[in-house]
Amino acid sequence: MGEIKEAELPGLGKKYVVRLDSGDRFTVVIYDEGNRELFYFADEEEPLCSVTLTDQEARQVGSIIGGAFYQPKLLEKLESAIAELHIEWLKIAPNAPLAGKSIGDLSLRKKYGVNIVAVIEDAEKGKKRTAAINPGPGYIFTPGQTVIAAARRDALEQFERMVSVEGG
Amino acid sequence: MDDLLNNVVFIFLMATVAIVSARKFHFSSIPLLILLGVLAGPHAPHGAGFDFRLVKSTESAELFSRLGMLLLLFYLGLEFSAGRVIKSGVTILKGGTIYVTLNFLRGLGLGWLFFQSWPETLVVAGITTVSSSAIVTKILVELKRTANPETELILGIMVFEDAFMAVYLSVLSGYFLAQGTSFVVGLIAGLITVAFIFAVLGLGRFMSPYLDRWLNFRSGEPLIMVVFTLLLIMAVMAEKVGVTEAVSALLLGLVLAETSHAKRIIQLVAPLRDLFGAVFFFSFGMGIDCRQFAPVASLVLAAFGATIAGNFLAGIASAWVCGYRGRPLVNVASTLIARGEFAIIAAGLAGDSGSAGMLQPLAALYILLLSIISPVLAKKSRSIYLGLEKAWRLLSRKKTESFAG
Repeated sequence: MGEIKEAELPGLGKKYVVRLDSGDRFTVVIYDEGNRELFYFADEEEPLCSVTLTDQEARQVGSIIGGAFYQPKLLEKLESAIAELHIEWLKIAPNAPLAGKSIGDLSLRKKYGVNIVAVIEDAEKGKKRTAAINPGPGYIFTPGQTVIAAARRDALEQFERMVSVEGG
Repeated sequence: MDDLLNNVVFIFLMATVAIVSARKFHFSSIPLLILLGVLAGPHAPHGAGFDFRLVKSTESAELFSRLGMLLLLFYLGLEFSAGRVIKSGVTILKGGTIYVTLNFLRGLGLGWLFFQSWPETLVVAGITTVSSSAIVTKILVELKRTANPETELILGIMVFEDAFMAVYLSVLSGYFLAQGTSFVVGLIAGLITVAFIFAVLGLGRFMSPYLDRWLNFRSGEPLIMVVFTLLLIMAVMAEKVGVTEAVSALLLGLVLAETSHAKRIIQLVAPLRDLFGAVFFFSFGMGIDCRQFAPVASLVLAAFGATIAGNFLAGIASAWVCGYRGRPLVNVASTLIARGEFAIIAAGLAGDSGSAGMLQPLAALYILLLSIISPVLAKKSRSIYLGLEKAWRLLSRKKTESFAG
């Protein structure tokens, strides 16, 4: 996981310095006017290159990076963390305990403190790829779907077991 | 055509030309506004066959310009928050104090050297101490330095400068209200203004829950109406209480900054400030006769040199104290050189006081020169740093050689 430092730029906006595991450092500046500027630093002092995005472009690029359009095959499980909040993308295994049950049945929110942000159904023959965003309690999980869940660390670990193969 | 509207159209036309071309040529708009004011105002060059006096300084122009001044100060108060200065941390507090103190002392020294009298000295200090946040932020964005580590310090210092200027402008205006009396009386008047401000601030903090509820409008329309009307009422009442209208605007800003609506008010007021602020700077230029530039030229050059030198010293010192080394030191020093809106407001406060006839052309020429040189210096900070480093190495080698010898 990269280390992220946040700093205020009074009159301009906010700055996020991201230090990656590889040692690289880049900085995102969000201007109060809405633009985002990305800087790549080779050394400590001056940025080597930069890119400016409008608010709209930044959101598009952000969702591409977040994997909303295409998820790498090798990484079934993606993880992103902001302080206590963890968001995970989990694929429902064929014989997962939760398959065939609805969100309400499992009382995910009440019992486990897990919020289902969205469920993505992969494109199959003749069918387009669809996403149920913020599904209601009646929504039934089926194997093969990708669930995006938000919760605290421990709650998510519990939820992960319900999504993966039983005993496995 | 209606003469009144005609004149207003010309004023806004000129201001638009200044602002649009400033944007186009990557130049700062304030000096251009003033310059066009000088060139097209009532003192503009004219003679047989040509007449550049396009704009008259009419009552409407004066009204707009006064509103511009009020809105500029109101905005300064709104954006200021003691919390933000404290939150910015110990390092920035240290760096900011060093920077502002050194520059202020340099300003006082310069003023005394020029005029040997207190009122002018205080105004010169006001003109030369504080950098222009508008120009500095623009330089940072244009040179793509917003993500640099030292930028946090630069912006922190500017927050600090704004806070200093809010207090200083009220001292200054209190001082000028008690004009004609001795220095001590003036200073006491200034300090009373400051005490008054802190009293109102305390009251404002106490009142902010009530104000919060009272200003709780869902749409922007009633909010901006109430705020603008308050601004006018405060300006009228200020004269009765014995503070200037400038201070009253600042004060209202400070009080409203404590409410939870501050952000919305800032968004609503910003375009108004831009609109009338432009007229303020333009009519500041209109008040200047370009023949007045000649007698102040030498003073301006001295102030110009002293500001750059002093700024390098103060900038490097404060960045050094805050733990920066190497090139960022020069970046801090060279970026903060531009002067602008506060210089003009300080010179404007001196206004009609008799001896101040020189101060306004001085301020105008001074910020014009600095706004030309400051982006260049900021851009060349790398070569400046290398040059300084070389000079330093030469110097220290000489020292060691003389030691050895």
